[in-house]
Parts: sequence; structure tokens; C-alpha cells
Amino acid sequence: MTKSAKTLEFKFERTIPAPPAEVFDAWLNPDIPGTPWHEKDKLIFNPKVDGLWYWLITGTSHYGRFTEIARPNRIQHTWMSKNTLGEESTVTLTFEKKGDGTLMTLLHAGLPDADVAKSHEAGWNYFLDKLTNHFGTSMQRRA
Amino acid sequence: MFNMENLDDIFTAISHSSRRAILGRLAESGPARFTDIAEPFDLALNSVTKHLKLLERAGLIKREKRGREVFISIRGQPLRAAAVWMHDYERFWNKRLDQFEEYFKDKRKKEKKA
Repeated sequence: MTKSAKTLEFKFERTIPAPPAEVFDAWLNPDIPGTPWHEKDKLIFNPKVDGLWYWLITGTSHYGRFTEIARPNRIQHTWMSKNTLGEESTVTLTFEKKGDGTLMTLLHAGLPDADVAKSHEAGWNYFLDKLTNHFGTSMQRRA
Repeated sequence: MFNMENLDDIFTAISHSSRRAILGRLAESGPARFTDIAEPFDLALNSVTKHLKLLERAGLIKREKRGREVFISIRGQPLRAAAVWMHDYERFWNKRLDQFEEYFKDKRKKEKKA
């Protein structure tokens, strides 16, 4: 997991014992367990570029649109819910051939980090204050 | 869940190495007096006081009077709460991907048997 000042991103890797095209197709099939839309209270799902999806689970609505579908290597779609505070985050999947299987990566990026960003700011201000004080006092000493 | 204001206080509290060191020391050795906490640090006593105030505001330490002395100890709950908040998506995707990987492993096993 890496962090920037304003957004969070999460990256995952799995090696799947099947060729990329099979893994790719499975990921876009909500009947397959482990795909994000498998467990559902309601699903509207249109996996093509500019296709929209809506997923309701335990009272939380999630929305997105597909921005890239490049079989068998890459899928990208957006992801919005109350957990993204209305921001459009991005989920990118890549499928690379690795031996007899597939190295699959999932990157969920652009998640808002309002609270962490605020505390980073508080932290940095704390350090900067200390630094200013340090130079302030050493200069006074020299004077 | 807990409120977001408290989360700000928790992250502020753990954003400084001296405060993390104080927490580490309290986690390791249990309740300690102010002088015991201040002793290993090359810090003015009033900055130790400031650090302890920030830790206390975040609910990460508590003070207890024993006789004439005050002992300070660590409270782990807010840190656990912060960790849960940070890892919501981490857990969500790991759970999904594990299931997905498992699906293919089962599929391969069945294919071999057939």
C-alpha cells in the first residue's frame, strides 16, 4: 500500500492457475465467487467500455463505469460509494501470462484520504514549527 | 465505528517519533511514572508534557493515581480502530481475491480428477 498526500491506493497480486483469457473472462462474470459483484442484493452490470454498473450490498450502493476492456490483459473501471466520499476512484486489473498461469494485479487508486491528509498536514506543521523554532533560536544565539 | 474527529487526533498523536517511542515504551514495560517516561528522552520536560497531552487527547494513554503517584499506561483500542479504518479496502479486496484464486484451484483439482 502506498500513500500520497491526498489519495490512498491499494495494490494486490495473485497468481492464478489458468491462462490470462480465462481469468479475464471469469473476472467479468459475477457468477464466479471472488469477483467483486458476486455477493449482491442487486446488480446492474454492463461490462463494456462506457458501460455502467450498479451494485447494492448490505444497504450500500456502489456505482461505476468501465473505462478500459482489453481482453485478455487489462480491465479498468471506476468505483464510487459512500466510502469514496463521492469521489470517483479507479480499479485497474492486469493479467499477465506467468508460466502456465496468470499474474493478476489489482490496483485500487484515487481513494480520498481526507482524514489522513489532514493529520499529515498537522504532522508536517508540527515538524516545520519545530524546525523554525530551531533555526530561530540558533540565529538568536549567533546574534 | 468511531468518529472521524477522534481519528484525526489518533493520527496526529502517532505522527511524531517521540510519541511513538513513548507508546512503544509503555506497551513494553507497562504503566510508568512521568519521570520514568521522560528519562530516556533528550527532551525538555515541558515537551514531554506536550507529547503526553496529545497522546491523552487521542485516548492512547490514561493516567491513574496510585497513592501519591500518577501512573501512565497505554490504551490500545484507538490504534486498533485506526488500523481497521485504514484497512477497509485492504480486507475487502484480499477476501475477494482469495476467493477468486480458490475458485480456480478447485476448478483445476476437479479437472485433474475428471
